[in-house]
Amino acid sequence: MIGPAIRRAIATALEATLQSLNQALENSLTPQSFAWRLEALQTGKSFAEVVLLRTLLYRVEQVFLIHKETSLLLHHVAAPGVETLDADLVSAMLKAIQDFVCDSFNTSSGDSLDTLRFGELTLWIEQGPQAVLAGVIRGNAPYELRTVFQQAIEKIHQVQGKALADFQGNAAVFEASHADLEDCLRSRYQHKKQGNKAYAWVAMGMLLLALGVFGFFGFRARQRWATYLEQLKAEPGIVVIEAKRGWRKYFITGLRDPLAVDPAQLLQPVGINPQAVVSQWEPYLSFDSELAATRVKDLLKPPATVSLSLDEDGVLRMSGTAPRAWIAEAQQLAQFIPGVTQVEVADLIETEAELESIQRQIENQILQFQEGQTAIAPHQDESLQTLVEQIKRLITIAAALNQTVQVEAIGRANNNGSEAQNLALSQSRADAIVALLVSAGIEPESLTARGIGTRNPLQNQSGISTVEINRSVSFKVSLTDESHSEISNP
Amino acid sequence: MIQKKICMVGAFATGKTSLVARFVRSIYSDVYQTTVGVKIDKKLVNLDSQEVSLILWDLYGEDELQKVRMSYLRGASGYFLVVDGTRRSTFETALALQAKVEQTIGAVPFILVLNKLDLQADWELEEGRSPR
Repeated sequence: MIGPAIRRAIATALEATLQSLNQALENSLTPQSFAWRLEALQTGKSFAEVVLLRTLLYRVEQVFLIHKETSLLLHHVAAPGVETLDADLVSAMLKAIQDFVCDSFNTSSGDSLDTLRFGELTLWIEQGPQAVLAGVIRGNAPYELRTVFQQAIEKIHQVQGKALADFQGNAAVFEASHADLEDCLRSRYQHKKQGNKAYAWVAMGMLLLALGVFGFFGFRARQRWATYLEQLKAEPGIVVIEAKRGWRKYFITGLRDPLAVDPAQLLQPVGINPQAVVSQWEPYLSFDSELAATRVKDLLKPPATVSLSLDEDGVLRMSGTAPRAWIAEAQQLAQFIPGVTQVEVADLIETEAELESIQRQIENQILQFQEGQTAIAPHQDESLQTLVEQIKRLITIAAALNQTVQVEAIGRANNNGSEAQNLALSQSRADAIVALLVSAGIEPESLTARGIGTRNPLQNQSGISTVEINRSVSFKVSLTDESHSEISNP
Repeated sequence: MIQKKICMVGAFATGKTSLVARFVRSIYSDVYQTTVGVKIDKKLVNLDSQEVSLILWDLYGEDELQKVRMSYLRGASGYFLVVDGTRRSTFETALALQAKVEQTIGAVPFILVLNKLDLQADWELEEGRSPR
């Protein structure tokens, strides 16, 4: 009662499995599955059945327990879905064939037929003392299965040895061996599908990785190229007309002011191989104020004392000091420089004028001394400091005009005392001042000292008495043009 | 259900297979007889309200060329000894076979069947007459 019920339950379960398998495989479109589908069509089996058959390693389809002496069937089990002929007859015929082989080929009495093979079907016969177990196996059964059969027949002999010995044709008692026989109904399918899936996953993973790496490098290359183009566009004096990315090369054409930065120099910092870039730059003049300023500087070559500024409207402002000749030339030239629309020179001082002004200031300076003294009178540090700066400035400006400066310190004395004393005193005073100036950092070559005693006395100035004003040192500046003759001023 | 192995024994062409074919439905063709020397069929009979399954071993008929394989008789609960009434020699063969079977598997019940009643006119065997 229970046996058939279980069998039916298993059959139903298997059918359900087949159906779900059918659905699962419905979408798989491998060449293999195509071949199986074709086979299913030809044989009239369901696709899943064909798949099961083709992935089958082995399956024990039927097991017969046969009484050895009478060759009568004691019990029989079959796997779900297996078509069986009358097991009683199969059992007898099986025994007949065994006898036939034994008789026909003169085998020794201990031997018995234990394997029959026909195509993909194998018949295994496991001999016991009173009964034999015969299994019909589809596919290649592993040798371990023999052990299973052996254990089954041994167990049956152990449990039902007496029933076997007393067997008179009533097989009902051998229903008890059902579980042992059913245990022999084993099967194994290869899970090729899953293996393939694993490979597919690995392959897919590798493909994704390759795509990822490829994509990453591609993305990075695109980013770098975009960065480069951005930088080029921001650069004054460069106009990008066309930029293309080829398979392995970049192509770029455009205009470039000769004063603009070299586009190739920008490649390395953004990480692009300069070899990979084919560029063509046509020269042009940019009106960009930054570049125009550079151009102005290149053309006008202003002295260091001049600062230039060019605003966005092209107004060129010059400030500082410059030789008169340069100012005149620069004013002329600047008008023709591209990018310059107007020239402003209001803040520009002619060097010559400044030179004269400083010279005058120096020559108006008087450093005073007390009666009979050769050391400078107190409270004149400020005047001395001013003097030092004026002389330094004079030397610098004169140098810009290619002139050298000589400053003569002229010492004086008042009428008190003898002329010889006064001359010596005045010389000492001039020397003292020169020493002070040298110690303040002025080149000794630029300085001379001369005492003139009471000769050529200074006239009264701003409420200082003539006596006081002539206890002093004043200065005289001489300028010498280095290339030409002396152009000294009075 | 009780099962019993029953053999059909007799000389060549005595009608063993026809007897079987008359009463049972067979799954094996006659080819088996000429290849392995036996054909197996099943006959269900009711005996004292007890169903008995007879497994019929239809053995190849003995002739000058082929002997009956005695191993096929092992385990038999009984056998039919079939004689062709039109050929006296088959009776003698049957007697010889019976002795041989008894020697091999012991004294088991058997039924002697005198076949070919339809050809009674041609019978070589007569009633009340000793075969010898």
